[in-house]
Amino acid sequence: MSCSSFDVKEYFAGETAGDDRRRIEKHLSECQECREELARLQLTQASLLAVREEEIPRRIAFVSDKVFEPGWRQRFWNSGPRLAFAAASLVACAIIVHAFVRPPAPGRAAASPALDAAAIEARIQRETAARVNEAVAKAVAASEARQQRKTAEMLSAMERRFEHERRIELATYSGQLALLQKQINRDFMLANNLRTVE
Amino acid sequence: MIFREVEDADLIVRARRGDVEAYNLLVSRWEKRVYNYILRLIGDREDALDVTQEVFLKAYQNLSKLGDTSRFAPWLYRIAHNEAHSLLRKIRPEGEMNYEPSTPDGAARLFPIELSLAVESALKRLNSDQREAVLLKIYHGFKFDEMAEILACPVSTVKSRLYTALDLLKDALAPVNAP
Repeated sequence: MSCSSFDVKEYFAGETAGDDRRRIEKHLSECQECREELARLQLTQASLLAVREEEIPRRIAFVSDKVFEPGWRQRFWNSGPRLAFAAASLVACAIIVHAFVRPPAPGRAAASPALDAAAIEARIQRETAARVNEAVAKAVAASEARQQRKTAEMLSAMERRFEHERRIELATYSGQLALLQKQINRDFMLANNLRTVE
Repeated sequence: MIFREVEDADLIVRARRGDVEAYNLLVSRWEKRVYNYILRLIGDREDALDVTQEVFLKAYQNLSKLGDTSRFAPWLYRIAHNEAHSLLRKIRPEGEMNYEPSTPDGAARLFPIELSLAVESALKRLNSDQREAVLLKIYHGFKFDEMAEILACPVSTVKSRLYTALDLLKDALAPVNAP
């Protein structure tokens, strides 16, 4: 085997195996120059590896972000009860298909199921509209009656309050008039007494 | 290593089914290595972090396109390579990358500063292709066929770049290597 530095480098790089590796190792045991070359490469590697890796300044944590999480469909589909869900879906589909394809009941008119459906729908709409109108009329009447009752109660209360206030004022005026008459009588009596003394 | 690959493959399968925690675990296993690979390519921590984030986002979005789950590592590094070079083309459109090694903080230095400087100086002598070949082989331990996949070039080209780089590094670091 020749002293090819390429062979030594390939051996150094860990890229040889089997017979090639054994051949190179045999050659290295016999060749001082290649052993020195290998030693220099290993020292160079040791120097390079002395520069250690740095710690990452902060963790890469984007996956915890909700944006990157799988959608609810994917999560559900990957969850445990998916088989149960699939079975339930199949049963539901079977029920629906059966409902649509089953034969008509005996005695029932087979003709024009679409027409029947339209008539039923029209009748439902009519009945619904009538019930709604009736309910609205009742509600309006009740509301009006309530308003009238409240108005009457308010008028009655106002009349009572006015009457009460009128009586208070009347009593006040009567009292003041009586007091005034007493003062006038007293003044007359004093005036008469003075004239008598003179 | 074999067990780890099996576990990664299992995590990938689970992540494809929508298991976010499985992908989070995958990210936690690979984020430091991918970050350091990108950091040594572009030399800026903030940019490297942003690109790493983008790499894992793209990997998640394209996980269904990964054919062989045992090839996850080269596939992931291929994305990292593309993203890093895409950024470099934007910030340095003239072509050749100017390697500006990111010097660790003083407290983070766990090796003699002389050796660190010597290695950084030696890596500067390499062109970007040679440097990346060294990164993938020496620091990340990829095989030639995986490197060819990551770099999208023939294995012969990978070998040529790596061997030339090793010769240059060997000479540049000779005084350091000397006893």
